Amino acid sequence: MRNVYVAGIGITTFTRLEYPLSEIAAYPSMMALKDSGITDVDHVYVANMGSARVNHQTALASAVVDSLSLTPAGAAVVENGPASGASAIKAGFAAVASGMHDVVLVAGAERMREVNNLEATDFIATLTHPLAEYIYGVTLPAHAAMFTRLYMEKYGVTERHLAMVAVKNQNNAMLNEFAHLHQPITIEGILDSPEAMTNNPYVAEPLRFFDACPVSDGGAAVILVSEEVARTIDRPLIRLAGIGQATDTHAVHEREEPTDLLAVRRAAATSFEMAGFTPQDVDVAELHDAFTILEIVESEEVGFFPKGEGHIALEKGETALDGSLPINPSGGLKGKGHPVGATGVGQAHEIVTQLRGEAGERQVDGARVGFTCNFGGFGNNVVCLTFVRED
Amino acid sequence: MPVDLEKILRPVDNPLKPFEAKYMTLASGEHMVIRQIDRDEIPDILPYLEPLLHVERDYYDVVCARIYSELLAHYRYRAQDEYVLAVQIDGELAAVVNGRQVSPDLGMSLHTIALRRGLRVGAHAFAAKMEYHIDILGHKEVLIVAESPIGFRRWMIEYQLEKRFETAHELGGVPSWALTKELFDRARSTLVVGRRPVPPEILAKAEAKILPPSDPPTPPADLLAATRSMYDPTATALIAQRNLLGGEVDHA
Amino acid sequence: MAAREIYAYQCKKCGHLHYPFRMVCKECRQNDFFEFDIVPLPKKGKLLTFTKVYNLPGEFEVATLGLGMVELENGIRMTGQLEVEEPKIGMAVQGTVKVVRKSAYDKFYGMVFTKA
Repeated sequence: MRNVYVAGIGITTFTRLEYPLSEIAAYPSMMALKDSGITDVDHVYVANMGSARVNHQTALASAVVDSLSLTPAGAAVVENGPASGASAIKAGFAAVASGMHDVVLVAGAERMREVNNLEATDFIATLTHPLAEYIYGVTLPAHAAMFTRLYMEKYGVTERHLAMVAVKNQNNAMLNEFAHLHQPITIEGILDSPEAMTNNPYVAEPLRFFDACPVSDGGAAVILVSEEVARTIDRPLIRLAGIGQATDTHAVHEREEPTDLLAVRRAAATSFEMAGFTPQDVDVAELHDAFTILEIVESEEVGFFPKGEGHIALEKGETALDGSLPINPSGGLKGKGHPVGATGVGQAHEIVTQLRGEAGERQVDGARVGFTCNFGGFGNNVVCLTFVRED
Repeated sequence: MPVDLEKILRPVDNPLKPFEAKYMTLASGEHMVIRQIDRDEIPDILPYLEPLLHVERDYYDVVCARIYSELLAHYRYRAQDEYVLAVQIDGELAAVVNGRQVSPDLGMSLHTIALRRGLRVGAHAFAAKMEYHIDILGHKEVLIVAESPIGFRRWMIEYQLEKRFETAHELGGVPSWALTKELFDRARSTLVVGRRPVPPEILAKAEAKILPPSDPPTPPADLLAATRSMYDPTATALIAQRNLLGGEVDHA
Repeated sequence: MAAREIYAYQCKKCGHLHYPFRMVCKECRQNDFFEFDIVPLPKKGKLLTFTKVYNLPGEFEVATLGLGMVELENGIRMTGQLEVEEPKIGMAVQGTVKVVRKSAYDKFYGMVFTKA
C-alpha cells in the first residue's frame, strides 16, 4: 500500500443553503482544487445520504463530476448513512493506496433543509431496522435517548454533563466561521434558570433540544493524492495514516452489551494500529456528537479515557479547547452542524486545518496527530480516521 | 368636517387590561423582556420589519406584509381592540406579536414574527400572547392559524390545539384552530415561562428605546439561487428576479 | 380471532434464535436458504430502557410516543411501543400485538408493552 496524503481541502458554511445539491458538492470541491493547485483528478467520490429521497435526485456523483468539468474522470456516490463522508474517504484512500489512481477528489454534501423538519426526521429514521424499529416510530433521537438512560443508570452521567458538552461545542463553534450555530449558550440558560425547561425542552427523554445537533445543509471536500503528487504541492504534508471500520448488529436491541459501542471501539483500534499510534498520541479529535451523549461515550470507546469515565474528563475540562485533549474544536456536529453526507468529510477538513496550523482562534497548538470518528446508523457502522503531519 | 368623519372612521376601543411586562433567561444566558407597547412606539418598529417583506423562506414575506398592515392600521386607528407586545433582548427588537379581542370571551391571535432565530424567541412570544388572552383578558378561547410550518409545529402540535374548522379566521378566511383555557392550563407548566416584575435596570433599558435587531433574517445572497431557474413562482422571488435581470420574467 | 404474534427465527442447524430475521445464522453461519423455524416471541419481559419521544415523523398523529427496549422471558430483546405512565428500568411488562403505525395505505403491526 502506498502512502496517501491530503493535498487540498474545502468547505461551505453548514447552515441553510438555498443552492442545488450538486452545487453544494461542487463549491467546496472547487475550493479544494484551488487550495491544492490541482486541476485534473483521476476519480471523484461523492458522499451523500439523501439525494434520492430528500432532493429528488439520483446519481449525484455524475452530476458533480460534470459540474466541475472533470469529465471523463470516473465518479460514484458513496452512501453509508451518517458515515458516508468517512466511507467515501476510505474509498478514495483505497484507490490511491492501491496505485490505481494518483489524485482522487472526495466530496461530501447534503441538503436536508429542502424539506421540512418532520420529513427530515423521518428520512433519518429510515436507517433503523424497517421491521423491528422503524415501524414503531423509532427515530435516531429515540435510540440516543434510550442509550443515554442506560448510561446514566450505569455510569452516573447526568443531564448536567450533557449540557456541558452542548455548551462547550456551541462555544467552540463561535470561533468557526463555517459553523451552523453562532449562538453562545450557557449552562444557566439551558439547565439552571427557571426558564430552562422551556428553552431546552425534551426531544426524547432524557435528551433535550440542545443535546441534539441541528439539521443542516452543507458540503466539504478533500483531495487525496500519492506521495509523489503531494511533494509537488507547496502545502504542509498531511498523511492519512490510518483507517478503521467496523460494523455491528442493525437492530440496536441485538447489541451484545447495550451500553457498549463496539463498532467504535474496533474501528478506532484498527485505525490506530494501521497508523502506528495509540490514543494517547492524539493531539486533537473530532468525534461524532450528533447527540451530546455520543461525544462522551465515543471518547471512552476510542481509548482516550477509561470506559465510564468520559464524563469525568469532561468535568475536569480535559476536552475543552484549552484542555489536554481538545475534542470537537470546530464545534462538532452539535455546533458546526450535521449535513449528513458531508459530516465525515467536514471532520477531516477540520483535522487537516488543525494539523496545518491554520485554525485561527480555535487552533490547538502544536497539533501533529489528529483523529476523527464518523458514526453511522446508531453505532452499527463506524469509520475512524487517523491523520499525521509529516513535515 | 374632517373631525366628524374621523369620528365615524375611528373605532372606539373597549378598555383592555394591560399586560404586565415580564422577563426570562434564554438559552444564551441573555435576558429577554416582553412588554406591551402603545401606538406611539409602532413607528419605531415598522422600519425594522420592512426588510423582511423580501425574505421568502418560512413565509416571512406573508407574515411580515400582514403584521405590517395590522400595526399600521392600529397606529392610525383603523383596527378594533388590537394589542401589540414587543419582545426585546438587551433593548434590541427580537419579536413582535399582536392580536385582537373579538368579544369578552373570544380572542383572535393575529401574528408572531421573530427577528432572532434559534432561541425559541417566537415560542416564548406566542406563549406570552396566549397568557394575555386567557389569564389577563379572561378569554375562554383564542382562534389561531399558522402561515408557516414552523408555526404549525410550535402551536398546533405543541399545544395540541383543537380544530375549529367551521369558523373562518380573520387571516385570509382559512379554517381556525383554537386554544381553550383547558388546553392552556395543560401547557402552562412546560410552555409558559417568565418572571415578574422585571428588574428595574432591565426594564429601563427596554423602555428607553427599541433598538434595531442585530441579526435579522435576510434574503439569500443570490436571488436566483433557490432554483437556478427563471421560473420560481413565489411572487417576491419573481419581483426580485425581474429587478436583477432588468426586464420581464414569466411565471410558469 | 387469535391474538397476533411477532415471530423469531430459529436456525435449523444450530438452534440459535434470532429476532429480527437475518439470512445467515449469526451463530453457526451454516444454514441453507431460509432454513429457519418460526417461533412466536413470548409476550412477557423486563424493561431495559425507555424514552418518550416528542418529535415524531409526520405520519404519527400523536404528540408524543413511549418507546422501550424489553428483554423477553426467553432472553431475546426487542424494541416496542410503551404505554406505561411511569416506566422504570427493570419493571415487568407484557406485550400485545397491535397497529403501531399507519401510512397512507398500509397498517403496520408491532408489539405494544404495558405494565405486567
